[in-house]
Amino acid sequence: MTKKRFNPIKERSSEIVSFLMASPDMPKDPDLRFKIELSIEEAVENVVRYAYEGGIGWLEAGTKLDDESLILTIELRDAGTPFNPLEKADPDVTLTANERPIGGLGIYLCKNMMDSISYRYEDGNNVLVMKKQIKN
Amino acid sequence: MNVTINKQDEKTLVTLDGRIDSTNADQFQQDIAPLMEGDAPDIDIDCTNMTYTSSQGLRVFLLLQKSVMARNGKMVMRNMIPRVKEVFDITGFSNIITIV
Repeated sequence: MTKKRFNPIKERSSEIVSFLMASPDMPKDPDLRFKIELSIEEAVENVVRYAYEGGIGWLEAGTKLDDESLILTIELRDAGTPFNPLEKADPDVTLTANERPIGGLGIYLCKNMMDSISYRYEDGNNVLVMKKQIKN
Repeated sequence: MNVTINKQDEKTLVTLDGRIDSTNADQFQQDIAPLMEGDAPDIDIDCTNMTYTSSQGLRVFLLLQKSVMARNGKMVMRNMIPRVKEVFDITGFSNIITIV
């Protein structure tokens, strides 16, 4: 298990992503790493940009593997404004270019790139957990 | 991300090299600002060496596509690696941007 608390987090999302991607829990396969990195970036960016007024606050980021090294779990925890990003409606991906609004794709990408994503509010913290099978 | 812009008479050739993520998407948007104006809107983008894009990059591509369409132009993205193409597929961007 790898875990670190970043404080403050303003403009540090790439550092947080790099920390998680350097975890020994991460797979080597480039396609898997791409999907995981993208999901982490989108989720971390959400916290860094929106969780705290003025961006002042902390984010705890961690990875772990199950006993069989089959399932990677990524957990992000912050004490910002309670917000469940999974309640946001998915974007309508069938609209034309002119109809498409700018933005709103980050969490949708996480949902599609990871096997599961869940949110809970616990002890005054937002907790986002993403899981990905990394071995057959 | 290195952006090379080569304006020709009829259209503009663009080469992208590297990653587009939350750290450089704003810079990327500034780099391609010259493509958002003018009366020769057609753009041909070589994506061979674009290794990564997050939603921040998609945002800029959508702005560019809208700008090109508003000027009755055509934008084509070429040679996208499969990992990056999947991001465009999942988000429906493959349907609104011509990817060959």
